[in-house]
Amino acid sequence: MRKEELFARLRANTHQQFDMPDMDIHALKYPDTLQQFIKMTLSSGGKIVRLKKDGDLNAAIAEAYPDAQVIASNIPGIKADRNPDLVAEAQDLNRTDVGVIRGEVGVAENACIWIPQTMKEKAICFISENLVILLDEASIVDNMHEAYARIKMTDYGFGTFISGPSKTADIEQALVMGAQAARSVTVFLLS
Amino acid sequence: MKVGLFIPCYVDALYPQVGVATSKLLHYLGVDVTYPPKQTCCGQPMANAGFERMSRPLVEKFEKVFKDFDYVVIPSVSCSAFIRFNYPKILSNCTVSEKVYDVVEFLHDILRVTALPGKFPHVVSVHNSCHGVRELGLSSPTELSGPRFNKIVDLLNLVSGITVKEPERSDECCGFGGMFAVEEPDVSKRMGEDKLADHIATGAEYITGPDCSCLMHLQGIAQKEHKNIKFKHVVEILAAGL
Amino acid sequence: MSTLHAKKAREFLKEPAKITHHDQTFWGMRMARDKMVSQIPEWEELREKASAIKRHTISHLSDYLEEFSSNLKKNGVHVLWAKDAEEFNQMVLKILTDHQVKKIVKSKSMLTEECGMNDFLMSKGIDVVETDLGERILQLMHLKPAHIVVPAIHITRQQVAHTFEADGISPEKGNDDPTYLTRCARNSLRSEFLEAGAGMTGCNFGVAKTGDVVVCTNEGNADMATSMPKLHIAAMGLEKVIPDYESLAFFQRLLCRSATGQPTTTYTSHFRKPRPGGEMYVILVDNGRSDFIANPDHWETLKCIRCGACMNTCPVYRRSMGYSYSFFIPGPIGIDLGMLKDPKANSGNISACSLCLSCDDVCPVHVNPGSQIYLWRQQLEHFGTANSEKKLMSWGMSWVYRNYSIYNMALKVAPLLNYVPKSIIGNPKMNPWCVGHLMPEFVRKPFHVLEKDLEKEYEKKSKIEP
Repeated sequence: MRKEELFARLRANTHQQFDMPDMDIHALKYPDTLQQFIKMTLSSGGKIVRLKKDGDLNAAIAEAYPDAQVIASNIPGIKADRNPDLVAEAQDLNRTDVGVIRGEVGVAENACIWIPQTMKEKAICFISENLVILLDEASIVDNMHEAYARIKMTDYGFGTFISGPSKTADIEQALVMGAQAARSVTVFLLS
Repeated sequence: MKVGLFIPCYVDALYPQVGVATSKLLHYLGVDVTYPPKQTCCGQPMANAGFERMSRPLVEKFEKVFKDFDYVVIPSVSCSAFIRFNYPKILSNCTVSEKVYDVVEFLHDILRVTALPGKFPHVVSVHNSCHGVRELGLSSPTELSGPRFNKIVDLLNLVSGITVKEPERSDECCGFGGMFAVEEPDVSKRMGEDKLADHIATGAEYITGPDCSCLMHLQGIAQKEHKNIKFKHVVEILAAGL
Repeated sequence: MSTLHAKKAREFLKEPAKITHHDQTFWGMRMARDKMVSQIPEWEELREKASAIKRHTISHLSDYLEEFSSNLKKNGVHVLWAKDAEEFNQMVLKILTDHQVKKIVKSKSMLTEECGMNDFLMSKGIDVVETDLGERILQLMHLKPAHIVVPAIHITRQQVAHTFEADGISPEKGNDDPTYLTRCARNSLRSEFLEAGAGMTGCNFGVAKTGDVVVCTNEGNADMATSMPKLHIAAMGLEKVIPDYESLAFFQRLLCRSATGQPTTTYTSHFRKPRPGGEMYVILVDNGRSDFIANPDHWETLKCIRCGACMNTCPVYRRSMGYSYSFFIPGPIGIDLGMLKDPKANSGNISACSLCLSCDDVCPVHVNPGSQIYLWRQQLEHFGTANSEKKLMSWGMSWVYRNYSIYNMALKVAPLLNYVPKSIIGNPKMNPWCVGHLMPEFVRKPFHVLEKDLEKEYEKKSKIEP
């Protein structure tokens, strides 16, 4: 079907048009945005570790995941066995114990963290058994309206909000963490 | 204020005591009430079944009979809702739709009753009929965000000795739905059984609500299942002692 | 006088415990939704504005589709327009064969269900692997979804275990623990993600201003399906386009809370460009939508964001289950969409509604699915699918009510019914009221007779009390 045909039919069949509403909304704000983010992260099944920005991140990763053998990251300073910028194929990131990625914006209302794609293979965000997300405390906002006003894509052209580990309740409504993607998510809140 | 009293077909034929209670209560409260003769039906059953056009002659008749009153009061939320929201679509220049009030609304919002004479020392479970909740605003629908209120409960609490309860699923449909009860009898029965069990679980002796059609449905099931619970329309309890 | 839905529901209701479980499961989801709503004071405002944004967008649909497709192209995404299900399926097949793809992994898409894509591709020798756990279970069991968000809710853990054992996904015979079974599925699907030549997703929202295809999942399967295979095909209904990120915030906040009572899906992914070294296609599908827009009473059905809240709250859906409906989407929105798509085939669902309007109150975008069912009922005559017995009953009632002398006579005679043996009047086959009820009693003195005595009483009283 040619789009011109479609557009002509749509225009002919539209009998009434409506304006956009006034987009002002008094959206939920929290008395303590950071505490709300922490609370929602925990209830989504995620974990929180609070660190100084100049703290020893590698030690913190080892403490959070002592059994991890294979770590993947392209973040400078992170001791990694694999680099999502340098692997030949995305598949090569399989069996990564811990993927370490950077979040840009945190959202208190639902523990979402915006993660723009800043690596060649975004698979690291999903194929890793466990995820560590680095997030600056100061970049947490109250709600999705504020978040969407801030987010930017990078040149790679992909971004995602992640809130806690991958989950499903498809079998008899029993909640299971770790469906197809990360089985656990630890947010390193940096100040 | 001249009030016209409309007594729906099924109340006339099956639950006349509800009409009597409504008439007596309004009279007691000093309302100038008239019951125009030769009333039949508001037209809802045919319209809900899909034949709105068959309601039209009844709509026209209702308009003619009641147009000169200030208010029309009806002891039925489903009829009141049908008249308020559907009549203007069926009849242009309809005037009655704005004057029609269910009796609970009328007592609560127009007369603003703050005292009632009667005693009803029993435990009752309130059946919040769908038309009352979601069309007339007798109570805050549990689906919506906002302050909680219930006009039926407010009025019942004016009756001395009463204990008012609500079932756990306080505004889930009982499953009557007019022709729904005969077109989908198995689903309707199951919905009614579940609702009845929910009311019985409150420990109530009576189930009460603002619409006899819901009560008729629940009562029919209760009788078939030999469940020992009684039924009264809200206005019968409010008119206790009169 | 039995409709298709009523007949099927009767069969399911023969297993009351199963219905209890189904009803309680979905009531639980409704309660989870209510809990979310109580935490968002601006909830009703969100609904109002989301509804208004959709009305604006749909009534300017060609403009937004133009903007969307133009941005997609700028981002290096191929854009195709499919007139109907057949064209869509053929387009997908061509893309896959041109790229020599033998296996495609897909995340959930009701649109692909609408088009019957899986069966079509399988018949052409392409392996289609569902990766949403519920959809995967149903695929292996050769069953259709029973709900649009939790499609396998009616399947027991024992059935899942049995299926996984039979397909070599579960090595431990008899182990039906959901966590264990989910791990088995994870391992099995991991190989599929690694091997597949293409990944297909649906699209929850298409952002016109940026060209983003937004996909929301809890499992992360849409992201897994598009992170290894180099080819991504996104299937999108025309009506899924929204103006911009500012609008998106409203829908993102409403969607998951309405659907499952979670504050968000785990993943809200924005696909803007193809992967480095990869290709991305977006196929925009009409399949009747450009005609639905012309329907003055029902065009707002296109606002639907497929959250499923209406079916979760619907007391009829909860007690009759998804397979009672003739359309691939059940519940209130399914009744409406089915009537838009094929009124003659789907008129048998119209009885599945008590007009309680709970669905109108939960719909995040004010589609008013219940109110629309009332309107569809008025049109059954026009489609030739009105039930003739119901029509006769309605006409009969109307005739009695229009003629007072007949009404009056009927009430005088009605008490005789009280004496008709229960074996006749209580026979459910003769009298469907008696499937569940005993007959009410017709009174000797209806209100309009008693009223005369009341008037006398009032007059007497007013003479005594001046």
